[in-house]
Amino acid sequence: MTASEAAASLDQATLDALRESVAGVLAEQSGGTQVHAFIDGKNTLDRDLWAQAASLGWLGFGIPEAHGGLGLGVRGLAILHTELGRQGAPGPYIPTLAAAQAIMDHGTDAVRAAWLPRIAAGEISAAVPVTPDAVGNGTIRCLGAPDAAILLAPAGSGWGMYDLAGATVAAVPIWDRTRTVIDVKLGDAKPIALVGEGAAVAATLVRSMALAIAADCLGASQSVTERTIAYMKTREQFGQPIAGFQALKHRAADLATKLAVMEETLAHAVDRTAADEPDAGIWVMLAKAETTETAVFIATDCVQLHGGVGFTWDYDPQFFLKRARLNEVLAAPNPALRDRAAAILATLTRDSHSALELGL
Amino acid sequence: MTILAAQHDLPAFRREIRDWLGSVVPTDWKARLARASNEEYIAFQRWWMKERSKVGLAIPHWPVEYGGAGLTLKHLIAIADEMARADAPTARMFTISLIHLPGTLFPHGTEEQKRRYLAGVANGDVWCQGFSEPNSGSDLASLRCRAVRDGDHYVINGQKIWSSYSMYADHCILLTRTDPDAQKHRGITYFIMDMRSPGVEVRPIRQANGRSEFGEIFLTNVRIPAENMIGAENNGWRVAQATLASERGVIAFEGGERQRYEVEAFYRKSLASDAAWLRDDQLRREFMTFLMEMQAGRRLLRRVLEESETPEASASVLPSLVKLSGTVLRQRICSFMTRIAGVDGQEFAMLAEEPFGSPMFEFLSAFSGTIAGGTNEIQRNIVAERGLGMPRI
Repeated sequence: MTASEAAASLDQATLDALRESVAGVLAEQSGGTQVHAFIDGKNTLDRDLWAQAASLGWLGFGIPEAHGGLGLGVRGLAILHTELGRQGAPGPYIPTLAAAQAIMDHGTDAVRAAWLPRIAAGEISAAVPVTPDAVGNGTIRCLGAPDAAILLAPAGSGWGMYDLAGATVAAVPIWDRTRTVIDVKLGDAKPIALVGEGAAVAATLVRSMALAIAADCLGASQSVTERTIAYMKTREQFGQPIAGFQALKHRAADLATKLAVMEETLAHAVDRTAADEPDAGIWVMLAKAETTETAVFIATDCVQLHGGVGFTWDYDPQFFLKRARLNEVLAAPNPALRDRAAAILATLTRDSHSALELGL
Repeated sequence: MTILAAQHDLPAFRREIRDWLGSVVPTDWKARLARASNEEYIAFQRWWMKERSKVGLAIPHWPVEYGGAGLTLKHLIAIADEMARADAPTARMFTISLIHLPGTLFPHGTEEQKRRYLAGVANGDVWCQGFSEPNSGSDLASLRCRAVRDGDHYVINGQKIWSSYSMYADHCILLTRTDPDAQKHRGITYFIMDMRSPGVEVRPIRQANGRSEFGEIFLTNVRIPAENMIGAENNGWRVAQATLASERGVIAFEGGERQRYEVEAFYRKSLASDAAWLRDDQLRREFMTFLMEMQAGRRLLRRVLEESETPEASASVLPSLVKLSGTVLRQRICSFMTRIAGVDGQEFAMLAEEPFGSPMFEFLSAFSGTIAGGTNEIQRNIVAERGLGMPRI
């Protein structure tokens, strides 16, 4: 099924089919071998995947049909980011798609009409500040590709879109080589468009990044756990596969338990957001904090469970661990996210609104 | 309209339950129980079962031909949800009677056994489970309690342990060894035992939380009629699998929902009183992590229920994953409550009126979750071997 057919009806079977198609393409094109080669500069996996994503409509999952997207909303985006995470896929998906969300929510009709179709078509990628509500003066550290076309950043009392062709952009070498961070000096550059007023844009970016990161963490954690258990079944010591040792089985079972909780943590944040519940913000912020910390725990344990080879550059756990560590600090610090969630909870509770309703 | 008469309209069914709970549950039941003796606690549970029975909510899940109402899983979920919402009393003493006995007898009992024993449950009979032994806990199949055929009876000698409410039980579902020479799973036979038979002695076991909910059963030349055998001789292990699989998640679901209301009430009270822990960054953030995990856990419990009626249920490790995450979360929440209560929380008290009003009692009680029903270590084995395909060595 194509993504546009999927857009027509968003039932579970449709979403499952969508996931299967995204996962299939990524497993074929962005397997461990290709990711390792990319990390070592031996292929152009990031560009190849981006082109593929554009042609398959993935970049328009979250963008309304009127603007050239597929209108799959947060459910579609969660699938995409989960599958990208599962393969440790390189590319500026999180900043570009978060920027699209901010443009959608806060931009004028003209801005939306001008920029959303270009993003959906994969023509341009975008950069956003690594922590959108803590942007200082001067150099802005951003998540995004060195050749990103636009940047969303504060402009006066609101937020604006900047053309990066007129700015100084320096790539920052980071440990996670599957994503890119850049330092941007805007100098005297003026925004080419206003995106929105006040702190609302920053809040949208944080929420949008938080959901994407939580999804990325789920896919990555499921994947590194699977790879690790597969390795334990083949690695023999004391005349048997190490997967047979109870001490290690129990560790693996604990990882599986964390994954089950993580899956529902993301699903809850996605469901509440899709339904536009007043408590959605609580769960999005908590989901980012929880899933990133769990992802770090899981990737750490997977390095350890691999033994010596886990510590090598050539095996997979290391790049998942580095990806998890970057995820953990993006969007906003986890303590701050928990505090913000607590503040929303207090407000809702004082208004006699329960944030814990789930239905059956 | 009565509750059961409304069963074909789920929202009306819920409303009827809600109205009934509103009229029958004493508002001060927790306060009363907080000061109650063990005997009063038992009497209270019997009273609660009688009240449920009056409106058809004692055995609503049984087939109509055995006195039940033949309600569906959806109804049971609605009942559990309303019970939790109303903070209604529980009647744990009847768990084996209501869940495990029918779960065993429906697939494996004779018609005569079903007629005779299920009717008793509807009238308030208490059943206990005689499975574990002092030397057969996680390795249940190694059990040694002997049953030797003697004419039309079996003679039982041995010891059982961790039998909840066995001190008050009328009957026991009992696992015995009939063939000590066979491979351990193949020499086990399943019986129904009258707890008033000569030679049955029960001693309560005092738990770390001060309660005595379970007991040790000593069996000396106890005679059980052969007709009380469930399934065939030496086929008891297979029958026991039905017993162990009979709880499909509704009890756990209700527990999860009760915890939600408990935590929410605690939070509301803390907010209203501007509790110190809310102003402590570390504690407040810790609470927020619990809250997220609690929501995820409630969603997982819903998945267990959804899955329980599918063919995949028997091989699924989801219940084990849910037990592992949920019971440890309960422990962590109770540990948190113990810490923030300070020295006041160390005052000896059992059931409290306020949510987490006796945090040490709750904290200690939480071990029943991590240990009972297959320890978490056994659950980890199940997840690793059955779920992750790691080899059994």
